[in-house]
Amino acid sequence: MIGNAPFIVVGVLFLMGTVAILSERNLVKISIGVSVIASAINLFLVAMGYRNGGAIPIHYLAGAHAKVVLPIPQCLTLTAIVIALATTALMLALIMMLYKHYGTLDVNEIRRLRG
Amino acid sequence: MLGKIYTGFGFWDVSAWIAFFFIASFYALWLRSMGRRDYKKGTDQDEIYWSGNPVPEDGADITVPASSAYWGYKKAFTPFYNALVAFHSGITTDYAGWFVFVSAVICALAVIF
Amino acid sequence: MNWSQHLPALVVAFPLLGAFATPLFSLGGKFLRNLLFVAVSLVTLIIAFLLWRNVLLHGTILYVMGGESISLTLPSGFAFPVRIMFEIDALSAFMGLTVAIASFAGALFSLQYMNGFSGLHRFVSLYFLLTVGALGMSLTGDMFNFFVFIEIASVASFGLIAFWRDKPEAIEASFKYMLLSQISAMLILIAVGSIYGKYNFLNMAAIADAIQMTTVDKLILALLVSALAMKCGAFPMSMWMPDSYAESPSGVTCLLVTVSQVSLYGLIRVCFTLFGTVAQNSFIPWIFIVLGMMSMFFGVTMAVIQHEIKRLIGYHSISQVGYMLLAFGVGLSALHDPRALADYGFTALKGGLFHMVNYSMYKGLLFLAAGALYYATGTRDLDRMGGLARRMPYTTVLFLIAAAAISGIPPFNGFVSKLLIYESVFTVHPVLSAVALVTSVLTLASFVKIFQTAFLGPEKNQWKSVREAPAGMVLGMMVFGFVIVGFTLFPSWTISNLIEPAAKALVDQAGYIGAVLHP
Repeated sequence: MIGNAPFIVVGVLFLMGTVAILSERNLVKISIGVSVIASAINLFLVAMGYRNGGAIPIHYLAGAHAKVVLPIPQCLTLTAIVIALATTALMLALIMMLYKHYGTLDVNEIRRLRG
Repeated sequence: MLGKIYTGFGFWDVSAWIAFFFIASFYALWLRSMGRRDYKKGTDQDEIYWSGNPVPEDGADITVPASSAYWGYKKAFTPFYNALVAFHSGITTDYAGWFVFVSAVICALAVIF
Repeated sequence: MNWSQHLPALVVAFPLLGAFATPLFSLGGKFLRNLLFVAVSLVTLIIAFLLWRNVLLHGTILYVMGGESISLTLPSGFAFPVRIMFEIDALSAFMGLTVAIASFAGALFSLQYMNGFSGLHRFVSLYFLLTVGALGMSLTGDMFNFFVFIEIASVASFGLIAFWRDKPEAIEASFKYMLLSQISAMLILIAVGSIYGKYNFLNMAAIADAIQMTTVDKLILALLVSALAMKCGAFPMSMWMPDSYAESPSGVTCLLVTVSQVSLYGLIRVCFTLFGTVAQNSFIPWIFIVLGMMSMFFGVTMAVIQHEIKRLIGYHSISQVGYMLLAFGVGLSALHDPRALADYGFTALKGGLFHMVNYSMYKGLLFLAAGALYYATGTRDLDRMGGLARRMPYTTVLFLIAAAAISGIPPFNGFVSKLLIYESVFTVHPVLSAVALVTSVLTLASFVKIFQTAFLGPEKNQWKSVREAPAGMVLGMMVFGFVIVGFTLFPSWTISNLIEPAAKALVDQAGYIGAVLHP
């Protein structure tokens, strides 16, 4: 049961992010929701990569273990973190420019493109 | 290069259509050449007829704008279009909501079937 | 060492080099930057063409990044596929060629179109990054790498859509696309992580070999399908599409159209190759068909009432994607029934693939022609245009070719692909063909409307001094026009050389797996 705890946290975080995106009206809070989802998925990747009883894949530090774990999920997580950082920065920049143009951060007011 | 493409129930042959195009353009040009050339230039004969009224100088006065095109069609489908335009509300979170909704439906179908 | 064996890496590395060399070249002035812009896209096009030809001649090409073979082999003889690799079969090469053509035409067009705006070195860099993302998505053989390229393409397109940052609408469109595409990227990442957790592979061929039909696999497939269907613009998730297509600069829009096609390529790659055994006989073909029908119908009905030229054409993108989703849905439903596949499934796939490349070409041309009108008149509102055919003859002829092709008027290429789709999908149910035909009629109606209000009619005094678009822009449009006329005049050559190998690669799951695991 305790082994599944990370996945429960992932699920809760993911739902929190989704609810924030769908129900919040402030653009900054929506972007926080996106970041929360990104963190949830990074946690998911790391938790998924855990192998019980596995050793690190460095030969002289691994000791006498039979199992060696590939470091791929950690690579995935690092890449995903970098991508999330870039997109969050870009999203905040766009939000700043939206505030400049529209004078509001309310998502219901920023709707010139419709119909 | 110009061969036929079979669709299983019929075929498509572009060379037949090119032949048709030449025959049709030949016919159209022939029809055009039958027209009279002896009209008087610069008189009423080469003026546009606009219900007997003088034709406005600016073309903008006699064009139908794009918004008015297919007026009857739009009028007939007003309830449909009201709903559809309201659906494209312009609110970003609505769009995200539809996306999450469709993903949820597809995931639910995946679990059921 | 044969240089042609490095083509797969070059086709991605070359525009990437271009992207990061642009700021450097921009120091040398405008001419040097423009030269780099066109030269790099032209060389990319040539490399993509050579790659496509090599694939046709020698079959599937594998390119492993930083290693001789895809597997990590331990001294004990244990082999494990971990390395990032490109696997290029006829379908990937076909998509790569389409992207390279669109990128080249858009680059030629943008030279003059963007002339006079500041920050162009950033524009060129982002443009090349978008090309890299799209090319990488179509060539990669690794799921996580696919995610990385999809993110490169997305981030570049956010920047490009918002390039005219003085316009509030451009920023708004970019933000909308960004939010949706971030959610879809997260869904793809969950799916990729789950695949790794279950099978310990990220290599597409290895996954396809190991895939089973459990609930988890179906959930992964469902996540991938919904995320990629959003990226290619299926109906209830397509509202970002007209917004971002209308607000981005036209040279970019023609590339964005192709990027949405590459997302569709990802979708069919996942469903046919990766999950071929799971997707068979399940609900997935019907998801395709239902989404396709809705996209076709609602997309085109929204397009008919628009009066802003790029928004109208943007709504048509939704309806055209519907045709392909319908064709691929029918093809997928017939995938594991050899008789049905031979009867109608393969024709539907050929029609869908042919429509993909046709759509990229004529929709790119339509957006470029709309951009030329905007350049000449300074407005996108059809109500204010009129009588422009006298002043802009080249644009008119090219627009007419593209409009005839998208409306499916014979003998244009759009008709051939639509014919292949109509005549195959009706075997599943006649209603599918009926909806497709109604959509085609409404498409024609809305393009008659554009042509009549923008090009025909009496000349308005306001536009007496309008001049034809500059030569560079006409040249960019002519690239697309040339391809469309080529496909029109030589349909059987196109089908047998370009489409049929791609369709065969799409249904040949064993070949895709075997090229990697049993070379």
